[in-house]
Amino acid sequence: MEHVLEFGRVLPAGDSLTTPARTAALAETIRAVAAGDEEAFARLYAGYSRMVHAILLGRVPRRDVDDLVQDVFISAYTRIRELRDPAAFGGWIATIARNRATDYLRRWREQVELPDELPGGDPIEAETFALLEIVRKLPDAYRETLLMRLVEGMSGNEIAERSGLTPASVRVNLHRGMKLLRERWADQGRPQRT
Amino acid sequence: MTMKDDDYLWDPTAAPDPDIERIEKMLGQLRSTATAPPRITATVRLKADTTGILAARDDSGRPSTYVGIRFLLPALAAAAAIVLMVGLTWRNAAPASTSAEATAGKASWQVAVIVGTPRVDASVLVGEGRIAIGQTLTTDAGSRAKMEVSDIGQVTIDESTRVRLADTRDGHHRLALDRGTLHAVITAPPGQFVVNTPSATATDLGCIYSLHVDEDGSGMLSVEAGWVAFEERGRESFVPAGASSRTDRVNGPGTPRYDDTEPAFRDALDDIDNGRDPSHKAASLRFVLEHARGRDAMTLWHLIPRVSAQDRTAVVDALAARVPMPVAVTRDAVLRLDRAALDQWWDALGLDEASWWRKWKRPVVAR
Repeated sequence: MEHVLEFGRVLPAGDSLTTPARTAALAETIRAVAAGDEEAFARLYAGYSRMVHAILLGRVPRRDVDDLVQDVFISAYTRIRELRDPAAFGGWIATIARNRATDYLRRWREQVELPDELPGGDPIEAETFALLEIVRKLPDAYRETLLMRLVEGMSGNEIAERSGLTPASVRVNLHRGMKLLRERWADQGRPQRT
Repeated sequence: MTMKDDDYLWDPTAAPDPDIERIEKMLGQLRSTATAPPRITATVRLKADTTGILAARDDSGRPSTYVGIRFLLPALAAAAAIVLMVGLTWRNAAPASTSAEATAGKASWQVAVIVGTPRVDASVLVGEGRIAIGQTLTTDAGSRAKMEVSDIGQVTIDESTRVRLADTRDGHHRLALDRGTLHAVITAPPGQFVVNTPSATATDLGCIYSLHVDEDGSGMLSVEAGWVAFEERGRESFVPAGASSRTDRVNGPGTPRYDDTEPAFRDALDDIDNGRDPSHKAASLRFVLEHARGRDAMTLWHLIPRVSAQDRTAVVDALAARVPMPVAVTRDAVLRLDRAALDQWWDALGLDEASWWRKWKRPVVAR
């Protein structure tokens, strides 16, 4: 049977915790992180790193995304006692990620024009980067949700749980975001094969 | 969009939609490859819990973390005393730095936080730690750190910098600066401390200097005291105190210039080093030769091998007008770029501090 990791508890897939129980488990994990528990920190990382990666990938050059993910989690670790409501952890770390991306872009735009994503030497094809550029130009809500789904492989429910968005909002973002993505992809002469 | 699309968009385990699946396969290549979280290796001084929400409490109502620390204090004090005694004994008993223990001790450097949360590889550095050969120190936009270069000096690492300890052993210490800025203060014989950058190698000659590397691999070396040799693929610049040298990924170390030269003079030198328009470069060379001061003889000397044979005569004349050619040196030898002739003229520049370095680096063939 497939299992999922839910803040330190291994649960059978589909047998999810109720919202209050999930919030309590998250609060317990966050308390442990605040007390310096590295395993708890690893659980938070496992639970949220894909969302943070998606948020950063939508904003900064790919080559620096992994470094910035680490920065975001270090920042969260050192500031975790500022978090008043453990249930808000997902939104809180997402904000840290967005701010970190903004700092990064501000700093580098002051110095040099940011280079475009180039596939040189990378086994990833140029077409993939062209598609990423289209996603990056979508409105924030669509962009982040689509990257969580299409890059990180998260389900709609998972996106809602991690981001703090309602499932209905996630569904709308996915639906409208994908519609826009298809249109713009087709505008570039790369229509979908249907 | 059909309901089927929507199902698969929502639930990746549902029956796949071919279009979405294709997009997913393409974008899925961009998934993160980093699976491990940053490792927190030292006691982190967390910001004060102002809310009280997060502080776990034991049965007595005291925060449990305080109980743990209070319990550990005597043990920590005893351990510290033992470490101190062992350390003193070792220091007294250890002979010269040729011992195996001393060599092993130099395989890493002490590193300390100045501000923020620097990392050594994936580990957060808090307070003080060690960086071993092959490890990388990374600072973000809000952090700085300092390294002890064995027993010969100190390097300060500025914000947004990535630097790797490439080697450290008796008489040879090497960093690789990928990007960002470092400031070095070194008190060692020449050649012991080296910094590799993507576009040049800086060899310390006992001095204080700063080195910056941009994201594209180009950089800038600024020397405050002493000398630094900047070289790449046979092109070298000897940069004295008060002078700087740019470096370019394609063209290597640029012509050094004193920092008190006019901006137009520095721009012209940059154009000579890296410009692409021949007529513009010719105009820049004329500008430099006309505006060089007496002390800019150092810059003119560096230009001799960097300009074309056609332009070399004008550079040699400009240098001779400021520092006469030594009697033992012939004009033909200089124009042929004879190393001994160039070295002798260099010695005549009055920059005596550098002559010993050139002898160390590459003994003069004939005098």
